This record gives sequence, C-alpha cells and structure tokens, in this order.
Amino acid sequence: MNAYLLAGTVLLAALFPLGLFAALAPPLDGLVAVQLGATVCTLVFLLLAEGFGRSVYFGVPLVLSVGSFVGSLACARFFDRLE
Amino acid sequence: MSAHDLAIDVLLGLGAGIELLCCAGVLLARDTLDRLHYSAAAATLGPVLIAAAILIDESLSSSGITTLVVVAFLIALGPGLTIATARATHPRHEDRVLRLGEPEEEPG
Repeated sequence: MNAYLLAGTVLLAALFPLGLFAALAPPLDGLVAVQLGATVCTLVFLLLAEGFGRSVYFGVPLVLSVGSFVGSLACARFFDRLE
Repeated sequence: MSAHDLAIDVLLGLGAGIELLCCAGVLLARDTLDRLHYSAAAATLGPVLIAAAILIDESLSSSGITTLVVVAFLIALGPGLTIATARATHPRHEDRVLRLGEPEEEPG
C-alpha cells in the first residue's frame, strides 16, 4: 500500500461519520455535511486513481467535482425557497 | 527515503489531516454558518496540498492536468455553493434583513 492509497483510505473512513450526521441532523446542517462529503469523496477518488496508477480513473473525480456542485446547489436553492 | 518521497508524504499527510480537521469541525460546530466555514476550508487548502503531491509525481501528464482541473473546479465552485447555502440558512422569512457590515435588525 502506497501513501496515496493510505491517505485515500483514511479520508474514506471520514465519510462514515459525515453520512451519519447528514442523515440525523436538521436539513441545512445535513446539506453542509453532504457538501463536505462530496469534496472528500472527490479527493478520495483522486488519491485512489493516483494510488492505483491508472490515468483513466482520473475522470471520476473530474465528473464528481462538477456533478456534486450542481446537486448541492440545487438542494441549497430548494431549501432557500422552501418557506 | 528520498526528498521526493518525503515531500509527497508530507503534502499528503497535511492535506488529509486538514480534511479530517474540517470533518471534525463540521460535526462539532455550533450552528450551520459555523459548519459552512469548515466546509469551505475543506474545498480549498486540502485539495491544493493533495494536488501538489500528485503533481510532484505526475508533473504535467494527463493525470496531472486532470488533477489541476479538478482542484480548480473545487476552488472556483466552492464559494458559490457556500454563499447559496448561507442564503438558505438566513431566516429572512421571519422579516429579518441581512446587511453586510451592520448588525442584524431584530424582528418585530
């Protein structure tokens, strides 16, 4: 196991408390946790792609960085107009 | 261990450590706006350090350029997301007005 895989695994473990918090917290607090989770997830895929040495895997964090932004922004706008 | 490996290990350790600190901050902060500070920090400093580690290995290969683009997306799009979430947090539906640099008006 190289340093990239180790760092990716550590960050992957950090996603579990964030997911638990997002499920149990009030909606806006949960949205913040989901946003942070998306950032961490992007970095995990980046680290795993480098750790496995496969350049084709780098497409996953590229798509996730844009897709998570769009999804989180839609959620934020939804909560903004909810009341 | 060469200087090359040491630099990568230090950058990866710092990047992952900052991300973990931000996760702890989001879990332990008092309210939503405090949590947003930690979430925004996680989208800037940590990715830059991790990208620097990858760029030391890859330089400007296709993987290195993709890493740069991913981190550029995270840094460029993160503030907009933070602002949108902060706007959703503000209780202006309760007739409270938000003006930058001034104390908030009390309702009623």
